Amino acid sequence: MLSDSEATELLSFLTPATRPDVKGHTTSYILGLSGNRDGCRFLRTKPDFIAALFALTSDPSIAIAKDCYHILINLSADETLHQVLVTDVGMVPSLLKNLKDPQYPFSDQICTILSNLTRHEKTCKTLFKVLQEEVGLAQLVDMLCTEAFNPHAKLHYLAPLLSNLTQLPEARRFLMDKDRGVVQRLLPFTQFQASAVRRGGVIGVLRNCCFDYANHEWLLSDQVDILPFLLLPLAGPEELSEEDNEGLPVDLQYLPEDKKREEDPDIRKMLLETLMLLTATKDGRRTMKDKNVYVIMREFHRWEKDPRVTTACEKLVEVLIGDEPEQGMENLLEVNIPDDVQEKLKEADVREQRELEAEEERTRKQ
Amino acid sequence: MASPATQNDSDDDDVFAEAFKRHKYKNAFNEENWEEEFDKIPMFMKTVPDEIDPNEYPELAHIQAIIHDEDRTPAEKAQSLKDEGNAFFKEKNYQKAIVAYTAALKNKCGDQDLDTVLLTNRAAAHFHLGNLRSSLNDATTAKKITPGHLKALIRGAQCCMELRNFATAIQWCEEGLKAHPTDKKLRDLRTAADKHKRSAERDARKAKVKEKKLNNEKEAIMAAIKERGIKLLQSVKPCQSDSDAEDDDKESLTAIAELSLDGLSSHKATGAQVFLDEQHNLHWPVLFLYPEHQQSDFISAFCENNSFLDHFAVMFGEELPPWDVDRKYHLQNLQLFFEDEEREALYKVDPETSLLKVLQHKRFFVKVGTPSFIILVNGSSFWKQFLTGKKIRAL
Repeated sequence: MLSDSEATELLSFLTPATRPDVKGHTTSYILGLSGNRDGCRFLRTKPDFIAALFALTSDPSIAIAKDCYHILINLSADETLHQVLVTDVGMVPSLLKNLKDPQYPFSDQICTILSNLTRHEKTCKTLFKVLQEEVGLAQLVDMLCTEAFNPHAKLHYLAPLLSNLTQLPEARRFLMDKDRGVVQRLLPFTQFQASAVRRGGVIGVLRNCCFDYANHEWLLSDQVDILPFLLLPLAGPEELSEEDNEGLPVDLQYLPEDKKREEDPDIRKMLLETLMLLTATKDGRRTMKDKNVYVIMREFHRWEKDPRVTTACEKLVEVLIGDEPEQGMENLLEVNIPDDVQEKLKEADVREQRELEAEEERTRKQ
Repeated sequence: MASPATQNDSDDDDVFAEAFKRHKYKNAFNEENWEEEFDKIPMFMKTVPDEIDPNEYPELAHIQAIIHDEDRTPAEKAQSLKDEGNAFFKEKNYQKAIVAYTAALKNKCGDQDLDTVLLTNRAAAHFHLGNLRSSLNDATTAKKITPGHLKALIRGAQCCMELRNFATAIQWCEEGLKAHPTDKKLRDLRTAADKHKRSAERDARKAKVKEKKLNNEKEAIMAAIKERGIKLLQSVKPCQSDSDAEDDDKESLTAIAELSLDGLSSHKATGAQVFLDEQHNLHWPVLFLYPEHQQSDFISAFCENNSFLDHFAVMFGEELPPWDVDRKYHLQNLQLFFEDEEREALYKVDPETSLLKVLQHKRFFVKVGTPSFIILVNGSSFWKQFLTGKKIRAL
C-alpha cells in the first residue's frame, strides 16, 4: 500500500483546483485501488481521501466525476466502509438531494451506492432515518414508478434500494399502508422487461412485505390483488383447457402463444418464495387453491430446469395439493417446532443442500 | 285579546264572524283559483316559470332585474349565476344548471377558483345528463386551471370509466392520488378501472384464442376437402385471368386454395356448415330438390361415408312426404341426379353410392358449400319431360 508521504501527495491532488490531467490520473489510480478489498480497507483509514473524492463528484469534468462515483460505489460494496461513508464523511444527505433532481446526470450511480449502503440492517436503519427527512419513501416510489423521471438515468437501482429498505418494519408499514395504495403501484414491475435489476428489486420488496402475514388477506384481496403479478412471470404459453382457464385469475386466462417466463432463475425462486409465504395462513391457502394456482405450478414444473428452483416449486405444490394441517398449526409461520424435530429438519436441509450442489456439479460438468 | 271572553264578547265575536261572511276583504284570493295565484307569488313558488313576463310576474321580474343588473361586478354576477346553477342542479334540472354555469363562465371574471368550481359543477351536470365527452372536457379544463382539484379529477376518472376507456381512467386516478394520496374515492375508482381493464384484456385474449381455434378448424376442413379432391365452386366473380386449358386446373386449385369461409358460408342461409368429426370424417349439409313439386329437403349433416339410401330409407321409408300428392315417391321408384351446369349434363347416381364417392366425381362442384341433388320418380310424366333434351351420364 501507499506510504504516508505518497498518500499525502495524492490527497493534495484531489482538490478542484488541481490540473485536470493530474486530477484524472489520481482518480483513475484510486479507482483501481478501490477495485479490490485491500485497497478498500486502506481507504477506510483515510476518511479525508473519501471526503475529497466525494467533493470531486461535482467536478466539471464528467470523466472525473464518474470515476469518483465509481470509487464510492466500490467502497460502499464493502460493509466495513459503511461507517466511514455515512457517519464520517456524511455524504448521504447530499446524495439524496441530488437524487431528487430530475436532471442530475449521476442519479444511477447514487442509486447503486444507496442500494449498497442499505444491504445490511445496521446502516440501513441509519440511512432510512436520513431518507425520511430528505426525500421520503413516497417520493422514492414516485421516482421509481414515473417513466423517464430523469432523462439521464434509468433509476433501476431504486428497486433494490427499496427492497433493502423493506427489511425494516417501518418501511414495510409505509408500503402497505391501506389508505395510501403504494404497493399497488409497484406490482406491474414484476414483468418489467427492460431490467432484471428493477424486476428483482420489486419482487424483493413484495417478498419482504409478505413476511408480515397480518397483511396477507389485504394483499390477496381485490384492493391489491398481488397474486396475478406473482404468477404471471411464472406462467407460460402452454394451452390450457377451458375449464382450467376459467378457474384462474383473470390476468392469467388465455395467455398467448408467445408468453415468455421470467428468464432469471434467482428471480423465479424469489417469486416462488413469495408465493410460499402467502400460503402461511389458512385463508391464504384457500385463496390460492380457489384460484387454481396449482395449474400454473404444474406447467411451470414441467418447464423448469434449474434444480434449486424446482425444489422451491415442489415445496409450494405440496402445500397447494396437500391436506390442511391439523388444528393449532394453521399458520405455518407460527408453528412451534419441537427441538428434536428441528434438529431432524436441519439435517434434512443440509442433506438437501448437498444434493443440490451435487446436482449442480453434475450439470456443470456436462 | 287580553281579557277572557265573556258573554258579551262572544256576541261581538258573532257579529265579527258574520261580517266576515258578508264582506269580502280587499285583494282577496278567489276561491276558485287561489292555488294559481299562490304560485305567482315568488315566496310561494314551487317552480320557476321558463319565461318571466313582467306583466304576469312583476315581483319575479323585479328580483331578476336585481340579480342581473349591469351595475354589478362580473365576479358578483358570476357568483349569483353559480348559485342559480347550483339551485337548478339540486332540483336535478341539469340543462338549466348548465346554462347558468355557462353564463357565469362567459363573464370571464378572472377568478380561477370560481372558474374551476363552475367547470367542475358543469361537468357534473353534463355527467348526469349522459354528456360524457362534454363532462370530460370540462373536467379537463378545470384541472388545467387548478391542477390537483379533487372533484375535477374524480369526475374525469368517472367519465373515462363510463366511456370504457379504463387505461385513461387509471391515469386520472393516479394523477389524483399524487395530490391526494389517501382519497378513498380515487383509490376505489382506480381499483375498479384496473379490474375492468384487466377483464377487457382477458376478453380480448379469449376471443383471440377462440378465433385461432376456429381458423384451425376451418383449415383442417379445407385440407380434408382438398385431400379428397372435392371441388368447391366460388359463389360470385368469375376469374379475371385468361382461361387457357392449362389454367383450368390452376383455376380450380386456386378456387380451393383461396376459398376461405366465404365459399363455405352455407351456414348463412341454412344455418349449417360442413364439419370434420373426431374420426376425421366430413359431414356435409345436403340439399335434395324435387323439381316436380318445387320442394326441397335439407339434411344438415350428411356423413360422407353414408349412402343416399341410408337417408332415403328414413325420408321415404315409413311415410311419404305430404307434397307427394300422387303418392309415387316410393324408395324403389326414386332416381337421383346431380347437375353439371357448365356442361349442361345430368349425372345419374346409384343411391347405394356413398356421398364421398359422388363428391369426388370429377364433374361434381359443390356450390355455396352445400351439395345438391335432384330426385325424380322413375317413369313419371314429369321425369320424361324433365329429362328430354338433356344429356344424361352415368357416374
